[in-house]
Amino acid sequence: MHPVLKHLLATDFADLAGSRVEGTFAVSDEMVNLGLHELMAQLKAPASPLKAAPAPYDSSVADPEPAPDPRALLGKLDVEKLNYRTEMGRTVLEIACGIKH
Amino acid sequence: MSAFPANLVRAALDNPSAAMAGTDLRITLPLTRALLNEILAARPANTPVRELLIDPNSRNRFRLYLKAQAPVVGVISRQILIAPGMPVTFPDQPWLRFNIEEGLGFLDRSLISVLQGQIESKLPQGIELTSKYLRIHVPALLNHLGYQQLVPLIHYLEVRSDANLLTLDLHLKAE
Repeated sequence: MHPVLKHLLATDFADLAGSRVEGTFAVSDEMVNLGLHELMAQLKAPASPLKAAPAPYDSSVADPEPAPDPRALLGKLDVEKLNYRTEMGRTVLEIACGIKH
Repeated sequence: MSAFPANLVRAALDNPSAAMAGTDLRITLPLTRALLNEILAARPANTPVRELLIDPNSRNRFRLYLKAQAPVVGVISRQILIAPGMPVTFPDQPWLRFNIEEGLGFLDRSLISVLQGQIESKLPQGIELTSKYLRIHVPALLNHLGYQQLVPLIHYLEVRSDANLLTLDLHLKAE
């Protein structure tokens, strides 16, 4: 894990308090469809085999760190506005949110 | 399952203006001194910079504490007072500028002037350092980093300093 992300998680995102995003986030239909295909491919992929014991000669392989739980950040969000709509050829999210102090 | 599908991210970065047409976001990002110093501490190890710390203050100035291996003179330590310049607005004002107000002596300025060519050859494309300022040509730097497609999205970028905080104001727009 990158040391900056590790610091943010360890400090409960306090160093980003007061951050704010406001406006419109739009995504084209092509991107939504690509995302759907990507999701289907991931769901249909065979499950990862159980981790085998490392070979005796391979002492350099370290356990990968688990991905951070998104709830760690989502719990700090103050969402004032979150509206979904569609337009011709795109999906639109109107958003106003910030990270709590 | 990956939280960020690689193909989706790649497609968005390949043509962000089309993938996110209609996006209009204003982002304010206050970064505390502690976080900024964590970011600076995570810099690449293979540079002449031995120590680098930042201390933002409330007069829209920040101080950089620098210890570096310099040509000819060996290890130097400096405390440099820096004032952020005008906001970046595209396409009229592409430079993100930081004026060096204090901390460089006559010899430092002379050395920088003498070594100007060497300094420029070692800096990434889009970054200029003189004895009076550091300035970043944002489109050229993004191009150097391989993110030239993001340039048209950046409509406004400002760096402000407050007590213990550097604040980034960013306006992203894809039309």
